[in-house]
Amino acid sequence: MVGSPVLFIAIPLLAAFLIPLLGMIWKESVRIVPGLVLAYLLVLSVSLLQHVLAFGPIIEIIAGWKPPIGINLVFSPFSGFLVTLMLFLGLLVWAYSYRFKRNVEYEPALKYFLMLMMLITGSVGMTLTGDIFNMFVFIEITSISAYGLTSYYKERNSAEASFKYILLGSLASTFLLLAIMIIYSQLGTLNMADIATKMHLMKPGYKVASLIFFITALGIEAEIFPLNGWAPDAYAEAPGPVGAAFAGIVVKAAVYAVIRVIYTLFDLPGAYQFLIVIGIITMVIAETAAIRQEKLKRMLAYSSIGQMGLVLIAFGFGTKEGIYAALFIMFNHAIIKSLLFFSGSYLAYNSTEKNIADVSGMAKHLPLTSLLFALGAFAIIGLPPFAGFWSKLAVLTAAADSSLWLIIALVLAVSVVELVYYLRVVNRVYFFKKEEDMEPQKPTVNAMIVMLILGAIILLVGFYPDSVTGLLHKASSDLMDKSQYIQHVLSAR
Amino acid sequence: MNPVLNIFILFLGGAILTYFAGRINKVLQSLLFLASVLVPAFLFYTQLSIGQSATFSVDGITLNWSLNYFGWLFSLIVLGLGAMAAIYAVSYMKGKQRLGTFYFNFILSIMSMTGILLSQDLISFFIFWEIMTWSSYLMTIYNGNKVQSIGIKYFVFSAIGAYAMLMAIVMVHSITGSFLIKDLINAYPTMQLGMQIWIPVLLLTGFAVKAAMMPLHVWAPGAYSNSPMAYTSVFSGALSKMGVYGMTIVFVTLINKIPQGIWFREVIAWMGGITAVIGTLWAIKQDDAKKLLAYSSVAQLGYIITGIAIGTELALLAGLFLAVMHALFKGTLFMVVGAVEKQTGTTNFTEVSGLIRKMPWTFFAALLSIIALAGIPPLGGFVGKWMLYESLITSNHYLLVIVIFFSSTAAFLYCYKFLFGFFLGQEEKEWSHVKEAPAAMVVPMVILSLLMFVLGTFPGILLSPINNGLQALGYTDSYKNLWETSVILNGWGNHVVLQPILYYIIAIFLFFVVFLTLKGYKNTRYVTTKDISSSGEIPKEDENLTFSENFYQPFFRAVEPVMRRQIDKFYKNLGEGLEALFEFMRRIYTGNGQTYAIYVIAFVVIMLLFGNYLLK
Repeated sequence: MVGSPVLFIAIPLLAAFLIPLLGMIWKESVRIVPGLVLAYLLVLSVSLLQHVLAFGPIIEIIAGWKPPIGINLVFSPFSGFLVTLMLFLGLLVWAYSYRFKRNVEYEPALKYFLMLMMLITGSVGMTLTGDIFNMFVFIEITSISAYGLTSYYKERNSAEASFKYILLGSLASTFLLLAIMIIYSQLGTLNMADIATKMHLMKPGYKVASLIFFITALGIEAEIFPLNGWAPDAYAEAPGPVGAAFAGIVVKAAVYAVIRVIYTLFDLPGAYQFLIVIGIITMVIAETAAIRQEKLKRMLAYSSIGQMGLVLIAFGFGTKEGIYAALFIMFNHAIIKSLLFFSGSYLAYNSTEKNIADVSGMAKHLPLTSLLFALGAFAIIGLPPFAGFWSKLAVLTAAADSSLWLIIALVLAVSVVELVYYLRVVNRVYFFKKEEDMEPQKPTVNAMIVMLILGAIILLVGFYPDSVTGLLHKASSDLMDKSQYIQHVLSAR
Repeated sequence: MNPVLNIFILFLGGAILTYFAGRINKVLQSLLFLASVLVPAFLFYTQLSIGQSATFSVDGITLNWSLNYFGWLFSLIVLGLGAMAAIYAVSYMKGKQRLGTFYFNFILSIMSMTGILLSQDLISFFIFWEIMTWSSYLMTIYNGNKVQSIGIKYFVFSAIGAYAMLMAIVMVHSITGSFLIKDLINAYPTMQLGMQIWIPVLLLTGFAVKAAMMPLHVWAPGAYSNSPMAYTSVFSGALSKMGVYGMTIVFVTLINKIPQGIWFREVIAWMGGITAVIGTLWAIKQDDAKKLLAYSSVAQLGYIITGIAIGTELALLAGLFLAVMHALFKGTLFMVVGAVEKQTGTTNFTEVSGLIRKMPWTFFAALLSIIALAGIPPLGGFVGKWMLYESLITSNHYLLVIVIFFSSTAAFLYCYKFLFGFFLGQEEKEWSHVKEAPAAMVVPMVILSLLMFVLGTFPGILLSPINNGLQALGYTDSYKNLWETSVILNGWGNHVVLQPILYYIIAIFLFFVVFLTLKGYKNTRYVTTKDISSSGEIPKEDENLTFSENFYQPFFRAVEPVMRRQIDKFYKNLGEGLEALFEFMRRIYTGNGQTYAIYVIAFVVIMLLFGNYLLK
């Protein structure tokens, strides 16, 4: 074995707190060390994932306390896939923002990278943990660094956005604690696998109440309507790469948590239908709200929420195909939305308001960035032969196998709306006259490389989806198999 | 390697190379462009044999490509017209901006259409269909005019169509467990009635959008007239035929297999007829040649749809024959407009006139195409229309015949307007510098015009591949008894009965022309346009004697009530209504943190109230 899952939490946390000290010795280390750490973790997670796919999940027991008493980390194909995806995106976010805003001084850079490391640690921890209280801790770590990153630019609007996030985030922690408390009082355990085995002992009233509190708390982080009020503001006010990190890392972890709770912890069949209903509402409202946005990042934020709605719908089918489709959308969304945030930030670089009108005519000045933005837009709409098509097809076939015709029609109708607002922006970039006071800003080399990598992945997955689908199939069957999860965790030594 | 894959790789690689070659050398780029259209087309006809297939597996789905006679028939349109338009495009696009984009999308359009014709499974069909959609969309907005209105309208309609198709595809998959078209055809007769209705309805919606059938045609005039003309000839000539291709498959292999199919046939046939009337009326009204041809395309596609929907042997042959003819003449006409645009800089009838002596070859091509379009013998359009009328009459669609006949007659009005507006009338000083278009533009036009002539004289050349194609779809062999069913065709299959008479008429006509010219040659006195007297007055030098504005005013006074109700307006209102609704949705996000907190609490309360549902 090459390493243990605990390193995913220990190393970045250690690095995050060492950065200020190292920075005293050599200022540049503030920027370099996070990258090295993330690169190492990515290599580690890839090799662990290969191991896991071959030999089954790894259960890491912390400090010798066996489950169900101690805390354990579960690196299964499902969580391992998400962790790898998050770390990959984290590395790209780091590379992209390595020289983002050249004029950034030492101190903001320190805060930025410190909080970014914490954000990634928290999200990875949420995904790996097998203990609900531990999950609460990681959610708090994630949230607090996310608040900080939202208000990274010391301006009135970002402070306001951050405050809204804190407001809802604190509600989330309250409800999460309530849910954990109910479960602990009823079952006397915090271990997920143990809870899952004892769930039938709980009275229905408590069961429902705790599930509702779980969904509320995690739904706030996972951008479920109507709990996602913080999201558009936070995305719009945070720096561009942070938007990508939110869409690609934080929300993914939160959705993972929701799904883990519904699929593994609880055994309520109605919860699946609930996922579909809430997913539809989230998707429809977010996508229709997106079309009327005037700010680029806000539009991307709504689009992101809409995609999460689609993911929830796909999880709600409760079939293996549904999970596969949902994971595929999550993967595509992480890649594509990051590309859109990355390239979009440069298209509207010198705009203070980040209005959509400000990106007009940028294609003449930033041809490659514009092309990548257009590629991202085409891919997220789901046009073949780009990556988004295959995930859309997967979710539709999964829905058709469950004979949910109305949902198919609705998803497709919403896709038309999505198409309209993305094309409006792309047309603007290519065919409108540039606003006179908008100075185009050439992307830095590292940012360009990051965007090209993402573009290449979109094309690769588009032309050859088999490059990821094998992994996704294994991850989805892992989530479906609840009893195996329980058995693995409880028999861990 | 498999020739099917070779063709795709050549197209795709050619497109990418052409795109980047512009950085090095413009001539090299043009040559690469020609090569990447012509070489795969050449390989298609030399290397591919009927029944040759290739498979490719992605994501557990087997993509299956193979060539059958029906695809081969349409490949004549796609690759033939595509090759001609490509030669034309090189000259037409000379000196324009963003050539790389144009060439790239041109090649991808041709590739995607070829791919559609080769696809034997629904997924690769859909993939190529969407590539076709976005590559043509990028062409529609190529000029940068009205991108937000015309471009998005085109894409939205295409997407609605494509998504309807996608829904049908996943329905088929959920029933048969396979994406193969063959399996759909086999399983269709035993499906439940609901599915038997829904699958063709959704598929036809997808195809009707591309074939610009009423009420889904509103994108067409804008998109056709806004693309570069070199592309529009493919857009209107070949790309719209993909809709016809799909419709034919749906009608022949699905709808005709169920007893309820009669309703489909009647409804679609009537919609085709109404499309023809609407398109014709609007075409007459246009003062811009591009718009005129665009509406005329809509109208002509209406005939084709009617023919295919009626579905008798003769009607199918007529529809497909007209489809090929339409590709020929509309492809040529758009090239003519492009040539005029390139040489004069405008396509408005009110501005240009009297080009007949300046651009004689262009005029020749335009004349032949207009004759074919109007359905006048001896060009191919006549044969097709005759067969269509006859098939409608023999299948007792008398009312529909009247509709089609009205539209076809009214089409003369715009046909004349087109010829007159550009080529006839008074020569004006403003256009005295105009020269004939470059040879690379003229030659494709003339070749296509001559083809129309050949097909008008020997329709059997085309009718036998059409028959083979229909047989490949499992249709009965209509070739043998066809010659008894139609008055116009005789036993040998290569001639039109009326043709000898026509030859006499032509011979006499030519004789007189030659005779009069020779006789009058000595006495010829050249006159200028103004060498006349009108109402006893001699017109001044700057006086305009020809009018190309407000043509057919009385006619419009008569049909105005019909035209006031525009479908376009309905869609516009719908769009605005939706935007208003979306604005309301946006306001749910008030931007106020307190409101958001209340949402959360309200969510919890509602959930707790209805929590019992989670147990079920």
